Amino acid sequence: MKEAATVFIVDDDPSIRRSLERLVRADGYRVQTFVSAREFLERADMKKPDCLVVDVRMPGQSGLDLQQVLETAGSTVPIIFITGHADGPLAEQALRAGAVELLAKPFDGEVLLDAVRRAIGQR
Amino acid sequence: MTTIQLAASALAVSLSYYLGANLGLILRFPPATPSVMWPPNAILTATLLLTPPRRWWIFLLAALPAHLVAELGIIGEWPLVLALFVTNCSEALIAAVLVRRFSDAPGRFDTLHRVVAFVVGGGILAPFLSSFLDAGVVAALRGESYGAVWRARFFSNVLTELALVPAVVICVTAAPAWFRRASWRRQAEALLLGVMLLGFGIVLFTSADLAAIPGLPRSPLAFLLPLLLWAAVRFGPGGANLGLLLTVLVAIWAVTHGYGPFGDLPARESIPALQVLLSVMAIPLMCLAALIEERQRAEQALAERLRFEELLSRLSAAFVHLPSHEMDQAFETWLKRLGESLSLTRLMLLRVAENGHDGQSVTIAHRWSAPGAPAPSASSAAALSNGADWHRLLRDEPVPTPGRSDLVIPLVAGGRILGGLILDAVSVSQRAAASRLPELRLVAEVFAGALARKETEDALRASEVMKSAILISLNTGVAVLDRDGRIIAVNDGWIRLTHDEGAMIDAGVDDNYLQVCRARADEGVPAAGDALAGTEAVLARARASFALEYVAGAPPAERWFAMAVFPLNRPEGGAVVSQSDVTERRRAEAEAQRHRQELAHFTRVSAMGELTASLAHELSQPLSGILTNAQAAQRFLNMTPPALGELRDILADIVDDNKRAGEVIHGLRDLLRKRELSREPLELNELIRDVVRLLGSDAVIRNVTCTLELHAAPLIVIGDRAQLQQVVLNLVLNAMEAMVECDAPDRTIVVRTGMELDAVHVAVQDAGPGLADGAEQRIFEPFYTTKPAGMGMGLSIARSIVHAHGGLIWATRNPERGATFHLALPATTSVPA
Repeated sequence: MKEAATVFIVDDDPSIRRSLERLVRADGYRVQTFVSAREFLERADMKKPDCLVVDVRMPGQSGLDLQQVLETAGSTVPIIFITGHADGPLAEQALRAGAVELLAKPFDGEVLLDAVRRAIGQR
Repeated sequence: MTTIQLAASALAVSLSYYLGANLGLILRFPPATPSVMWPPNAILTATLLLTPPRRWWIFLLAALPAHLVAELGIIGEWPLVLALFVTNCSEALIAAVLVRRFSDAPGRFDTLHRVVAFVVGGGILAPFLSSFLDAGVVAALRGESYGAVWRARFFSNVLTELALVPAVVICVTAAPAWFRRASWRRQAEALLLGVMLLGFGIVLFTSADLAAIPGLPRSPLAFLLPLLLWAAVRFGPGGANLGLLLTVLVAIWAVTHGYGPFGDLPARESIPALQVLLSVMAIPLMCLAALIEERQRAEQALAERLRFEELLSRLSAAFVHLPSHEMDQAFETWLKRLGESLSLTRLMLLRVAENGHDGQSVTIAHRWSAPGAPAPSASSAAALSNGADWHRLLRDEPVPTPGRSDLVIPLVAGGRILGGLILDAVSVSQRAAASRLPELRLVAEVFAGALARKETEDALRASEVMKSAILISLNTGVAVLDRDGRIIAVNDGWIRLTHDEGAMIDAGVDDNYLQVCRARADEGVPAAGDALAGTEAVLARARASFALEYVAGAPPAERWFAMAVFPLNRPEGGAVVSQSDVTERRRAEAEAQRHRQELAHFTRVSAMGELTASLAHELSQPLSGILTNAQAAQRFLNMTPPALGELRDILADIVDDNKRAGEVIHGLRDLLRKRELSREPLELNELIRDVVRLLGSDAVIRNVTCTLELHAAPLIVIGDRAQLQQVVLNLVLNAMEAMVECDAPDRTIVVRTGMELDAVHVAVQDAGPGLADGAEQRIFEPFYTTKPAGMGMGLSIARSIVHAHGGLIWATRNPERGATFHLALPATTSVPA
């Protein structure tokens, strides 16, 4: 079990947010969830997370905006994007910006956990 | 008088003068100079009485040669002959001037006044005065006794004037007409009278036996009096004067031949005696004849008046209740009767027709002319066309046509000239025609009344004809009901609709409409019950009108009818029921509705295409949640011990997500389903929230902020949920698309609702580029689009839906930027149960 690893999840949809939290927690990680990029930036302790799972499209700041902000702040936390729209240009932009993975909803939980493991393994 | 006529007259005067002079020479006792009678003076007097003074010189000059020829042979002295001509002329001139001065008709002797004027002026004064001149001339040139000559001339001239002037004048003026007109019996009577006067006169004057009978009048003239009275009574002044002339001639002939009452006297004495006797006898006889004539004329006038009164009363009776269509015939008949009984030659009835805006036109409506008279011309009517005469008519004055004896009597009723009665009496003088004026005015009054009535009746009939023509031509069936609902009248359209096309109520004239409705209602026809109630309400004046649309027959051959009931505006009450076949209209409406729905469906389907991305996201969310939750649950179950506490929460979330996905599917199905219009109460705020929620993810994708500023109280409208959703959806999508080019922070949509008066108001405001000039209207037209990939149907569909809901849709420019689309729908205050 990877005791210390912590995963932060940012998604505005409560159902998605809760199911992800359960899945990641069931795999043995510690999980914190946020409803928006803004809440994340205000409240998250940036020293803790080993991995971020972020929804691309959210009211207000989008996942990509958040990625930019973090990069500007010098953060190296690996980011996994999830999206309801499997649109090519968006994925390309995210991956080029250093994202670990971009998953189109609905996605297999195992694929997400694989990505999380890979992200944490990168560190 | 033409020159030829004038010359002929002058010649006749000259000839008469010559013959008269010779007659005068015959009727004297040679060698006595003065004649018993000297006709030339009387002939001149008669001539001057009959001719206008300005022509007198012609006739006097014409007499001069005759005078010279007649007298020179006997007298032989030029100065005396010429002087005598002057004195002869002076007598005639004095007589003519005096008679003309005092008589109203110098050429007539048919009233006492005229006779007296003639006797005093022409018979006494003129001879009296001229004899002084005469005697003076003879005394001076011949050296005879002035007094003797004066006396001889005076008596001779008095007798000649009295006996000859009226006779000559009457022979010239009245006799030809009398001979033309008098029956052969009258002519025979006159001849007999003349022969008797002559015969008896000769016998009486020449018979010595009469004088032998003691006690009898000495003068045979007494025995001729009955004959003279006969002449006066039967033949008036003409008869009296001619009889008198005959008597005088016989008497003078007798005396000059030594017969008669004065036969035993010397000529110098017997002649004046005869002259005085004859003169004195002539005067009362002339007066008597004139009086008789006057009396007869008065009686005749009275009889004529009575005849006219009777004619007028018959005329009035004939026209008083005459139907308009028989009036023309009556006018023809009565013009003829009037013309005949008033002894006219021609009569015309003019009608004045209102001639549009350019005034009036005059036409000859009826004309009559006496048999043999020339047909009436249009000249009189034409003469009336000039303004002056109309002004006279308007002042209610009869118009005499210049140079003719026509009279135009206006037919006036109600202050308006309806026409004129033209009286063309060529045979009577204008004065005689004018004397008929009061009578003719009465006739004109009757005619005018009749014309006015005819006009009114014609107008009424024209309007009736118009009404029935309209009713016949109508496709709509019309039935008139009395107050009890009985059908009084129907038009052809009604019969067609009820018999051939199967309208609900098959009822004809004399059926009771209400009863037929009731019977159909009892058979279970619901519309018949409605029709019954509505018609009863209108008949009872409880409703101002009633209208109903109903269907008759079974599909697909069913027909739609629209009926309407209006009260009949008359004191007896009643109503008018109209029915028309509106099947075609109904079918067209249904067709239009179907098209609209098809179009709405089409746009919904195309809108779906645009929504696909949004819907995919909408479905991917719950599906993703379900999958993730399920996989998390598997993991919790695999733990030892299994973390069952987590499972409860997971399952609850899975159920919620599943429902959420189901809702999306339902919404999709609603949107795609092709439905008939439903009408149900809807809360508009809720409807708008639903639509905006549906578009929520779309808004996220497009980075559009959608703000709702909704009315606090529920806004209830009646309508079709899916269609109104479609309208709101179209408007919001439209707003989103309008802002594609805008910067992300500016992409805002505000949806407001409100209540204004009795309308619910929805405004969808965007911050896009706004509307192009003049596009406010065009944007609602089908296929009008500004988007490269747009169909241009969204707003058009929205408009047809809104109109179908009795609402309005319009667009305005925002003060700052973008456009606002407005929607107004009729509000429902109460929510039906």
